[in-house]
Amino acid sequence: MADAAAATSTTDPLSAVLYQSLDVVQRTFNAIPGSAVLVRYVKSSHQNDPYRTILEVILIIFAIRTLLQSRTRAEKSGKNFIKLEEKEIDDLVDEWIPEPLVAPLDDTSRTELASVPVIAGASGPKPKLVNGKTVVNLASYNFAGLAGNESIKEKAMDTLRKYGLGSCGPPGFYGTLDVHVQLERDIASFLGTESAIIYSQGFSTICSVIPAFCKRGDIIVADRGVNFAIQKGIQISRSTVRWYDHNDPNSLEEVLESVAKEMKKKRLPLTRRFIVTEGIFQNDGAMVDLPKLIKLKLKHKYRLILDESFSFGVVGRTGRGLTELYNVPAAQIDILVGSMANGLCSAGGFCAGANVVVDHQRINGTSFVYSASMPALLAVSASAGIEMLVSTPSLLTTLHENVLAVRSVLDKLDCITIPSHPASAIIHIFIRSSATGSTLSPSYVPTFSGVSSSANAAHKPSNPTSVLSRDPEQFDIAAEERLLQDVVEEALAQGVLITRAKRLRGQEAVEPRPSIRLAITAGLTRKEVEKAAGVVKSALIKVLGKRRY
Amino acid sequence: MPSQPSSPMAFPPPGFSKRKSAIALPPQSTAVSYLTALQQADAKARSNSASSAATVSTLSTPALSTSSSMSSSSSSATTVLDDDPYDPKHDGDDGLSRPAVPPTSEQVFSTIHSEFGHCGNQTYRHTSKYSGGAFDPANSHEPPYYILLSTYISYIFLIVIGHMRDYFGKKLRSANYKHLMPSNGYAALNSDFDSFYTRRLKARMDDCFSRPVTGVPGRTIALLDRTSSDYNATFDYSGTRTRALNVSSYNYLGFAQARGGCADAVEESIKRYGISACGARLEGGSTDLHLQAEALVARFVGQEDALITSMGYATNSTTIPALASKGCLIISDEFNHASIRFGVRLSGASVRMFKHNDVQDLEALLREVISQGQPRTHRPWKKILLIVEGLYSMEGSLVNLPAIIELKRKYKFYLYVDEAHSIGAMGPHGRGVIDYFGVNPRDIDIMMGTFTKSFGASGGYISGSTALISRLRLCSHAGPYCESMTPSVLTQIVASMASIMGVSPPLPPASPLATPTRSLDVAIVEKSFIGPAPAAALPTWLSLPPQLRDGSEGKERLRRLAFNARYLSRALVKLGFITYGHDDSPIIPLLIFNPGKMCLFSRMMLERKTPIVVVVVAYPATPLVTSRVRFCLSAAHTKDDVDVLLKACDEIGDVLDLKHGDGERWTLEEVMRRATELVRMP
Repeated sequence: MADAAAATSTTDPLSAVLYQSLDVVQRTFNAIPGSAVLVRYVKSSHQNDPYRTILEVILIIFAIRTLLQSRTRAEKSGKNFIKLEEKEIDDLVDEWIPEPLVAPLDDTSRTELASVPVIAGASGPKPKLVNGKTVVNLASYNFAGLAGNESIKEKAMDTLRKYGLGSCGPPGFYGTLDVHVQLERDIASFLGTESAIIYSQGFSTICSVIPAFCKRGDIIVADRGVNFAIQKGIQISRSTVRWYDHNDPNSLEEVLESVAKEMKKKRLPLTRRFIVTEGIFQNDGAMVDLPKLIKLKLKHKYRLILDESFSFGVVGRTGRGLTELYNVPAAQIDILVGSMANGLCSAGGFCAGANVVVDHQRINGTSFVYSASMPALLAVSASAGIEMLVSTPSLLTTLHENVLAVRSVLDKLDCITIPSHPASAIIHIFIRSSATGSTLSPSYVPTFSGVSSSANAAHKPSNPTSVLSRDPEQFDIAAEERLLQDVVEEALAQGVLITRAKRLRGQEAVEPRPSIRLAITAGLTRKEVEKAAGVVKSALIKVLGKRRY
Repeated sequence: MPSQPSSPMAFPPPGFSKRKSAIALPPQSTAVSYLTALQQADAKARSNSASSAATVSTLSTPALSTSSSMSSSSSSATTVLDDDPYDPKHDGDDGLSRPAVPPTSEQVFSTIHSEFGHCGNQTYRHTSKYSGGAFDPANSHEPPYYILLSTYISYIFLIVIGHMRDYFGKKLRSANYKHLMPSNGYAALNSDFDSFYTRRLKARMDDCFSRPVTGVPGRTIALLDRTSSDYNATFDYSGTRTRALNVSSYNYLGFAQARGGCADAVEESIKRYGISACGARLEGGSTDLHLQAEALVARFVGQEDALITSMGYATNSTTIPALASKGCLIISDEFNHASIRFGVRLSGASVRMFKHNDVQDLEALLREVISQGQPRTHRPWKKILLIVEGLYSMEGSLVNLPAIIELKRKYKFYLYVDEAHSIGAMGPHGRGVIDYFGVNPRDIDIMMGTFTKSFGASGGYISGSTALISRLRLCSHAGPYCESMTPSVLTQIVASMASIMGVSPPLPPASPLATPTRSLDVAIVEKSFIGPAPAAALPTWLSLPPQLRDGSEGKERLRRLAFNARYLSRALVKLGFITYGHDDSPIIPLLIFNPGKMCLFSRMMLERKTPIVVVVVAYPATPLVTSRVRFCLSAAHTKDDVDVLLKACDEIGDVLDLKHGDGERWTLEEVMRRATELVRMP
């Protein structure tokens, strides 16, 4: 090309200037080391295949155009965009009628709201309701009976006088108090993990922990019956999810194997893999077989995220949770989440694990980073709660005895089924299906006790990509809830406060079966608990019995 | 309080019982009796600390500063002084524990100076109110090009060196990178790409973040001293503490106090209610206190009903999914808080963002989305929810609320205003941006806010029409699944809120019994929603000291905050700094740009004679180039404190070359002298 340019230099002064500057550009270009190679390459490729040059030029133009096009404008220029006149837009704006912000309350919701129990004054084993009635409380989470403990209150008041109430800042910005650090240490040494991190709300803990570790492309294998907070955490994480049948280790194993097969077949790269489940399930009180779970996770090289919100402070000799009950070192659980609000009658949640696990959350746990740290006096109360659990094992012994006492009263009842584990302090009561008299209900009675899949083994396994199992239980939500609410009110009339398990119908991944959820406490004596259980029993018989066919 | 005209913050001397009388003050409230009382308390404290051998090498520190006067609460003098053993630099020469000018005989302060500063000069007050006229979409000065260029070069350097260290580190010291590399059949727990910023950029200045503190996060704060010998991988704690001026905590109205009427009320509530409400709101975790607090919040913000959640973050993240779902559109300001984004993602609705605070861009977007409808199908949207914040916590900018309400009338979207930072902190009556702009609260469909900031508590609220709130009680995730707010926090909210509002005198005894039901009168009869809290709306056992009860202290706090905010932001501009945000915002970001200067700024502030703790923020919380330091002012700060801060900024700003603002410049002395003039300027 250079020769051609030089040869055609002629008369026109304008073109002379042009050629001169072109010459300068060319010389500079040639001066760049390696430019000769490029020129030679272009020349020879053009010689061999002139069409290719055209194609490449088009490609370059296209690439530049794509790069220049901003992401946000893509929608406007997309073929789906309809160009409208201003007048037309004005008309469309005028015509548009939005739906109401929320659906107006119907009668069911109104009754539901009105039936929410309100305690006047302190909550505890025997609180007073706003109507002046003193009741025995089997509804609030006061498992170890720490609510109203005088020594904890004293400590809280001392803390108040040193720290004030609020921490007025997120942990990163001067919201980390020494009492928070102390509580983290207390939890870690109580459970036997390397370290722990505290969040200021129990619910938001696991919602934030899951997406901190599980990213797009990672694999989560989760139980179909996990609680709402876990469902939301999984949803946010955008990971690939595989579901296994509720509390069924065999199903878990099948799913783990199918995932391994799939990975091998598609030659997918190694990604993070997690098993997510609960220690004691919030939705029905069932308990996982932890040793089996750990065996599976080690075999298939998964990390375990275990939500112990309803087992921490509840099971085990001193309330350390499932790890104590099964005598498994807590270090075997990669990410252990619990709630200080449920287990220690304080507030907040925690995540315990190895240092790398905890430190990662200090910058990646969104609800840790972007929220104010918890008030100092609540952190101190939680620390004091742990101290009580350790120093007074009788608290937990009483709790376990009370749980047994309630179970021995209710287990014999044939109008209900109890899916909860015998050691669980939250006890869910389902209506035995025939008792509703609903035509929808088949004779199938769910049996959740431990490894129960032998009956299901004949069936084809459920599809792991869907959260719904192959043969979901059938129940009439509205009818069962009505019946159970009658039971709740009947018990309340007899002086025992119990509650239905409240759900977000329509927002849950799988609609949990309506149930009554008892929360047993160590704050009551065995006699009182037995009596209260007797009241619940007679209420159940009274309401469900007369509706039986 | 006629006998003490100087300051509504003034307070009867020790020994005066608040419960007996609200008006008649003993005549002996003179300087002599005040000082005598203090001396006695001091002597008592000295003997106490001397007798207790357990204290940590602090016996030498005298336990009392001249100004650590008692509140009238039941607490004895010695408990107040228990804070001081933490404080090695107690002598007061740094101006933190004792005001530079001792109080006059007329001024008797009820607060501890280190928690809530003593500022008796009534000219250092201002009212936070929108002055009208065109809305300035917050100043945006551009720095010189060499600053931008050096900032980019700094980042390139950091990134290149970081990658080199990673490359060689993985080869040579693989043990340190174990969690970043696949091992034993497990994929890496964290990807090294995701954590690159944390490890290679943030770790360099980790000493400026998450500094552990102790005590009250009030006007001053006690830092636990720490050093690192391994480049911030671990920290060693020496056990000593440094008291520093706190311009970092969200303590806008100074309610972070361990003493005073609110703390007394909280103590009473712990005695009465215990620590926890034990359960979710719908499952046996509701107490009468929840209903009372919710009714008071609704009245405070001028709505029909309110719902309280136990965590501010969760207030957004659990409510938004209950408001919008698939087929709905959420329009969100680009700088909205992480909790809003979290909630929006959970909701499953479509999202569009508009340029921060840009009403024109918002209108163009609204016209586009309404006319185009849903993507692909072009069905009309079920509803459109616009989510904005009242005061943006990283920008210090206020939302252009009047213009947005104007748009709302035309485009029929629902408006969700997150007042996390503005509630309590803005407006002549502390009712947030609504009050600041003087708009009708009922023009806003959903009002959200938090109690962490202005009220010195924690958690948040959603407020709106009765229909909305009732629905949310059942449908928001918090109702059945989140723990309910603890009674102590609720009490702090009620007490601080009532003292901002003032409490109207109790009704005659013929009034109905104060049975706490939801039918509690929250209807707003007057034209303006702003008025005192009815005595019947408060818990019967709550007894606030008179200056809180009549709202005088609340007003004083609002006026002090307004002065401090305006003074600092204008003074910084006059000194030549580039700041963001509106003048009336108590959040004042000062632009630093270069990442290297950020940690220097923070360290230099801390090493001064009067140490100051500041918050520095950089990418990813801000755009890459605009690293900044963020000051959060409080009503607890005095004018002297702001002067101390200005002096520090002035000196450090010269050293670090931070003064790139345009416009007229004043010297530091001039700024300090003409402070009131500066604040009163339109």
